[in-house]
Amino acid sequence: MQRIDHSFNAMGGPCRVRLVHADKSTANDAIRAAETEVRRLEQKYSRYLDDSVTSLINRAAGSGQACAIDSETAGLLGYADTLWQQSDGLFDLTAGILRRAWDFKNKLAPAADELAALLPLIGWDQVLWDEQSITLPRAGMELDFGGCVKEYACDSAAGQLRQHGIEHALVDLAGDMVALGDQGKGQPWSIGIRHPTDKTNAIARISLAAAALASSGDYERCLHIDGQRYGHILNPHTGWPTQGLVAVSVIAEQCLVAGSSATIAMLKPEQEALAWLAELGLPWLGIDAAGQCHGSIHQTG
Amino acid sequence: MPAKPRDTHPTLLALTSSALLLPAYQGARADAPPDFTEIGVSYSKYEEDDTQAGKTFGGSSERYEIDVAQFHLLAPVGDDWSVALDVQWEDMSGASPWFVGLSADGDPNVLMSGASIEDTRTSVSVTTRYYYDRGNTGLNFSYSDEDDYTSNAIALDTAFNSADGMTTYSAAISASSDDINPTQGATPTNTLDDNKDIRSAWIGVSRIISKRAILRFGLSYTYRDGFLTDPYKFNDSRPDERKEWALGGGYRQFFVGGNAALHADYRYFNDDWGIASHTVDLAWYQNIGSSTQLEPYFRYYNQGQADFFSNLVDFSEPYFADDYRLSAFGAITTGLRLRQELGDWTVNLTGERYTTSNDWSTYSGDESPGLVKYWRYSIGVDYAFR
Amino acid sequence: MKALASLLVLACLAGCETAQVQPWERGTLARNEMQWQPDVMEAQIRDHIHYSKEASTGSAGAAGGGCGCN
Repeated sequence: MQRIDHSFNAMGGPCRVRLVHADKSTANDAIRAAETEVRRLEQKYSRYLDDSVTSLINRAAGSGQACAIDSETAGLLGYADTLWQQSDGLFDLTAGILRRAWDFKNKLAPAADELAALLPLIGWDQVLWDEQSITLPRAGMELDFGGCVKEYACDSAAGQLRQHGIEHALVDLAGDMVALGDQGKGQPWSIGIRHPTDKTNAIARISLAAAALASSGDYERCLHIDGQRYGHILNPHTGWPTQGLVAVSVIAEQCLVAGSSATIAMLKPEQEALAWLAELGLPWLGIDAAGQCHGSIHQTG
Repeated sequence: MPAKPRDTHPTLLALTSSALLLPAYQGARADAPPDFTEIGVSYSKYEEDDTQAGKTFGGSSERYEIDVAQFHLLAPVGDDWSVALDVQWEDMSGASPWFVGLSADGDPNVLMSGASIEDTRTSVSVTTRYYYDRGNTGLNFSYSDEDDYTSNAIALDTAFNSADGMTTYSAAISASSDDINPTQGATPTNTLDDNKDIRSAWIGVSRIISKRAILRFGLSYTYRDGFLTDPYKFNDSRPDERKEWALGGGYRQFFVGGNAALHADYRYFNDDWGIASHTVDLAWYQNIGSSTQLEPYFRYYNQGQADFFSNLVDFSEPYFADDYRLSAFGAITTGLRLRQELGDWTVNLTGERYTTSNDWSTYSGDESPGLVKYWRYSIGVDYAFR
Repeated sequence: MKALASLLVLACLAGCETAQVQPWERGTLARNEMQWQPDVMEAQIRDHIHYSKEASTGSAGAAGGGCGCN
């Protein structure tokens, strides 16, 4: 049995693929395919690359020109649409522009008129789209796939491993993970969930086998304004960060579903988020502002 | 519809079903061309036992010996197509039963064709296949050529998956046009030049029944029209039409603990010549480590005789035949196959024994003295261009 | 023909009404030894011999052309 551990940087963070497989050349091919898949999706949906799908769509905003899309992009839009509906509009692909107003680096709140100017440009329900094309109706509107592409890439990279016949692997894209099977011999993958303030310590250890784990959290980028703590996840209705949980981790069969469940929870006020997570039925772990842990994942650390 | 746990939250259900439409979750579907080109060559030796002493009228009791070479190529073409090429060469020599008569002590005995028959057969088959999101369709041409027989066939097949990918519906149709030009030699033949057409249709459905088990059923109908009589057999006159039905079932189950897979297949066959048969195939694919596989297999075939079969034919009837293949018999095959992977190479070794007896048939009818028994050995090598 | 097809489908569905197996759970089913025909050349030679020595064919596909095999 070959154990291979491969690290690289992509999607704005450290990525790591670990796998156990009998044949070394197959294992190496599989890892190469997985990394290539992550880079493909990064390039395709990056906001920072001029020729990405995201940039093409955003450049056409307000021009009245429909932008042709492929079936994968249509699939992601369809998924985002479901998310928007299921979260009562809290998850919104067009909300990314709020970043223009918020300066998390210098910990400054935006002026009220600055936010007021942005809010009309937000609203998934304004977007015209179908299986073949998308139109952003107002100049200045932007799509940002950042809220789901990393998780999707994690699933897709794991899919590449699976297609190569890999049965035991862990794909970790900066904290979003997919476990293919266990480590072999019935031993699950062991994953540490970071403590919200103490970077070096795990707040919980999770055993993961044949499942995905995604986390959403405000570890560093939070603000204190008038004595109130605000996270960096912005509510598209108000333009302000939510005063909710500090961090949420969710386990699901797909990393994409785990990630969006965690994100929706982060967008809800604390009590509402806890109730929603409990009702959803997926294994979860939430940490509130007081550092208290909640959820069905038992902390062992 | 798939059974979902009843308490699944509607939001989770909505997210999951919406996510599954994305291409990343379609990877496990079968309907993509192969990832890489594979080629294989194989050589087989097929040897029939001599006809049992006391069942021949003296003379030669030797039967067929056949050398078979096979070539297989399967290659992806672009993102949506594949092409397969299969070639088979056969070199046969020996004798086959000519006719059955009564021996001095009143038992049916067989007389083998006197001179040794020498023939070669070449068959070439090309299949192009197109893969789409939820299925694939293949078009096949095949050509088979012998000194005394030529066949041209075309076949179209398609498979279509249900939206949840749990059920696959398949269908196939084929047509063949065959020419028969018996070699003229020591013995007279039943025709000089004739032909027959074969039309066939098949439908099948397979369903995933768990993470480790899959089941299928299939039904086929075949219509043969033309010269169906064996040209070389002395006592042979068959109808010029034959309608066949076959109903089959198959099951595959993987055992994680044993690291092995069970194959179980069954077929019921019936035609308008009065022949019926049951076939059971069982195989156990045992993985040993990660690159070795041992496959013991067993097959039981149980056939009833054709209405016009008789060891001692009645020439006053419109149809008659003493061909052992139309008699009531049971056949048991036991075989062992070893598969060894060596990186991109795979070596296969097979040995199989086929024996027959009238006693093993549950159908009534006399035993033909011409029943065949054989050994078959194969060695094959495959290479994958990964 | 259509009636028969639906009959087959019904028989299959009735016989195995089962829980959904998700695409990512089909790794085992995709293994070579779980295929209907794991080895093409082996299947070809077995079918060819049985066709020449027995009176039955069919049920796993449409029949191809014949041969003069005795």
